[in-house]
Amino acid sequence: MTDQPFSIDRDTLLDAYRTMKTIREFEERLHVDVARGDIPGFVHLYAGEEAAATAIMLHLGESDRIASTHRGHGHCIAKGVDVKEMMGEIRGKASGACKGKGGSMHIADLSKGMMGANGILGAGAPLACGAALAAKRRGDGGVAISFVGDGASNQGMFLESLNLAAVWNLPVIFVVENNGYAESTAMEWAVACDSYVDRASGFGMPGVTVDGTDFFAVYEAAGEVIRRAREGGGPSLLECKMYRFYGHFEGDAQTYRAEGEVENLRENHDCIKIFRAAVTGAGAVDPADLNAIDAEALALINEAVAHAAAAPMPGPEDLETDVYISYA
Amino acid sequence: MRVGLVANPFSARDIRRVIANAASLQITDRANIVLRVLACLGACGVSEVLAMPERGGIRAHVERGIERARNTGDERFAPVRHLDFPVTGTVEDTRRAVRAMVAEGVSAIVVLGGDGTHRAVAMDCGRIPIACVSTGTNNAFPDHREPTVTGLATGLAVTGQVPPEVAYAANKRLLVSINETEHHPALVDVALVAERVVGARALWRPESLRELYVTFADPSVIGLSAIAGFLDPVGRREPEGVMVDIAPLPADASRPDTSPAVRIDVPIAPGWLRTIGVRSWSRLAPGASRVPRLRAGMIALDGEREVGFGEDDDVRIVLEPDAVRTVDVEACMDYAARNGLFRRDERRALGAGRPAGE
Amino acid sequence: MARNLSMNEAVNEALDQEMARDPAVIVMGEDISGGTGAPGEDDAWGGPLGVTKGLSVKHGDRVMDTPLSESAFIGAAIGAACSGLRPVAELMFVDFMGVCFDEIFNQAAKFRYMFGGKAETPVVIRCMAGAGFRAAAQHSQMLTPIFTHIPGLKVVFPSNAYDAKGLLIQSIRDNDPVIFFEHKNLYDTKTDVPEGLYTIPFAEANVVREGGDATIVTYGQTVQRSLDAASTLAKEGIECDVIDLRTLSPIDMDTVLESVEETGRLVCVDEANPRCSIAADVSATVTQEIFGSLKAGVRMVTAPHTPVPFSPALEDIYIPGADRIASAVRQTVAN
Repeated sequence: MTDQPFSIDRDTLLDAYRTMKTIREFEERLHVDVARGDIPGFVHLYAGEEAAATAIMLHLGESDRIASTHRGHGHCIAKGVDVKEMMGEIRGKASGACKGKGGSMHIADLSKGMMGANGILGAGAPLACGAALAAKRRGDGGVAISFVGDGASNQGMFLESLNLAAVWNLPVIFVVENNGYAESTAMEWAVACDSYVDRASGFGMPGVTVDGTDFFAVYEAAGEVIRRAREGGGPSLLECKMYRFYGHFEGDAQTYRAEGEVENLRENHDCIKIFRAAVTGAGAVDPADLNAIDAEALALINEAVAHAAAAPMPGPEDLETDVYISYA
Repeated sequence: MRVGLVANPFSARDIRRVIANAASLQITDRANIVLRVLACLGACGVSEVLAMPERGGIRAHVERGIERARNTGDERFAPVRHLDFPVTGTVEDTRRAVRAMVAEGVSAIVVLGGDGTHRAVAMDCGRIPIACVSTGTNNAFPDHREPTVTGLATGLAVTGQVPPEVAYAANKRLLVSINETEHHPALVDVALVAERVVGARALWRPESLRELYVTFADPSVIGLSAIAGFLDPVGRREPEGVMVDIAPLPADASRPDTSPAVRIDVPIAPGWLRTIGVRSWSRLAPGASRVPRLRAGMIALDGEREVGFGEDDDVRIVLEPDAVRTVDVEACMDYAARNGLFRRDERRALGAGRPAGE
Repeated sequence: MARNLSMNEAVNEALDQEMARDPAVIVMGEDISGGTGAPGEDDAWGGPLGVTKGLSVKHGDRVMDTPLSESAFIGAAIGAACSGLRPVAELMFVDFMGVCFDEIFNQAAKFRYMFGGKAETPVVIRCMAGAGFRAAAQHSQMLTPIFTHIPGLKVVFPSNAYDAKGLLIQSIRDNDPVIFFEHKNLYDTKTDVPEGLYTIPFAEANVVREGGDATIVTYGQTVQRSLDAASTLAKEGIECDVIDLRTLSPIDMDTVLESVEETGRLVCVDEANPRCSIAADVSATVTQEIFGSLKAGVRMVTAPHTPVPFSPALEDIYIPGADRIASAVRQTVAN
């Protein structure tokens, strides 16, 4: 009988909260560390968008693959990439997930099914089609997820991939993380057809739009499109309408935003606050348990930062390694 | 003579497109509907259309369409003015727009959307009639009709060519009150579900459905109200509603009090036939208040999960007669034809300025 | 047993035998089977020049026609390569790299380095290249230097049927991304090709003629033209080493350096445009490494710095010919 308040069990709710909170603390800490000059290069933060990555990844196993974006930290954490290795990578350390050779925009861990954050917008979509093709040939019910922002959704690579996925009936889901801004340009201006469901239907696949700040909305819709893909039901598009709390990159003055916009987002559209209110309000989870997770997440990030700060930089001997498996 | 226009770019985007091959009317098609309605309103002599501002694409396409027509000397569209306030992309835009339209004294509001959009408009429009154009998914409230005809009927009604007692019809609604402080209306159905999440909003899994209340029960429409429609049809214009007590499936042998008396297969979404267990059903008398059996859960209004309630909450559901007025398209067109309003030989201009067809 | 096969047949045989050997090998491309979804025959084309004809009949859905959508399917081949398959994707004409280059140079080429050595991308991208087919500016380029410029890519360019089979099998088995060039003017040229599977290692240049007076370094279509030049020069008493590089990245500079140390004279022949070409690369390396051995300035014989012209009258003089090669050798020997 289903007279429980949630169809998701308590442990899963706690796991989801831990993942969202870990992503949030990771990003909030990076925001501070970038400003202090501790982080080289470009950093794009996922804060505010945690519910989408978390809810989607709960439906995936390690053999399922994801192709991420430049805003990939949340996807990495939700897919199980080690947080210490991530922090090391972002600081360019030898202890990093990619030995310091990739940085924030290229964190990958293929053993966890994470095919890489990607500095080229839209480039992940064909790669996800390839991973889905491999899964389809294996016949093991594997799926691939292509994450793309509203901006990169205008890339030919993305649109071609929608067509290819439909023609080949691939087990791939295209997740459009629509945070309203392509860098500084409004989605409403830059996307001529305005609706991702329209776009999906133009390529012969179903599309669905959900409130990306509502973990449960994403969880339910993602569960359904992923189940269909696993069972041979083909590709789908899932649009998550969401908000980013920070700029396109760290250092973005964000003058394109309306006055008070970010304050309003943090107050009224914070997916973690919304989740917390839903599960505690219904009595499914004790607030004390969530508070304990808050402390654990913060401790984990502090530990990751300490570990990364203490780790050595790669040496000159590392400059020319790992270009090829063999060469000569 | 002014008319309001609410065109929702976000309706029909929910999970029913994935699970049930539901229709999804493209933004450009919605914009074309707006243009067809504007042409009809213009032909009837409507002086201005006040439109809801939005950033979902309909406005951009409509403005482009009007500009392209104007560039070629075509002035058939009624003049449009978009209300000026910041767009949030939520239902609040609809409600704010409707309040502004009421304040500016519109004679009717043309609504493009599903049951949810019509419900949002009905919350604030008071006695101002709604002209319904269906672009949603499960729509039971707005009927399916070529919008050209809806536009013509609305134009004839608001310009007084068809008298109000003919042009407008009364509709029932359900009002859910929580602790006498919160009030939530529904135009078609109120469903109570055991699960406590809004989730993907649209109610598509019947397993958690417990109670259903409907304003009318039409077996020829789809959606939750079809459950009542398949059991005990009640028309839109009849005074009563229907309440259905749902028995969850699969039945729990240890709880005979929850087991079904009958099972029916109902399209609760487009092409989505589900087996529903029913313990009992009864007529709802207008004005009488019902207290649900379910102690805690979620309330779905016109098919979308919206509001939670707990064991300490006092929830009451009342069927209200004559709560929402709509443009009766068939009645308007019938009246207009029988009274020669479409005929040019009588020299009765269809509109104040331009006869139709010139 | 060796048969006399065309390069076209040798490539087909390599694909066929590797697919039979390894179920992870799949082949994809535009019209690679041909006729998919059309009312007429399946396997209608077998590639635009019939190179893959018959493969789909033998290997079924492992030979995949694609939409005309290079970004998507080249990217998908790369994504599949790091997900356990060994795709051989056909880009048809190398000129089409412009619409899918990101997936090649920003994705496949960089995965291993960017991801700290944790990625393997065993993809082969086959593409036709070269002039002489009256195919004009957008279907006749070489573009080889663009690929050799990119760390992470391997670049292979056979000049004959025997090398094509051995190098393609090696490419399929290699775990790095390989760009495999096929010169469209060489498809019909025949050599003896063994029936069985064999590989030719990368970075092993082939000394196709030994001389001693001058070294000609080249690859692809101009290997035969260089041999023709060498025959002419031999009649004049000038004996040339002719080196077929076979793979451009990695490149076998040792063989080149050894030869030039002996001859002291180098002519680099390249059908690609001259600036930053393979010819320029080899010239620079030789000059840097063994300047003291050179008896004359290095000479390059390349296409001009122009697009490939359409008119046969122009295209014929665009491609480096035996006369120009012989003339360049005479100039170095004269010094």
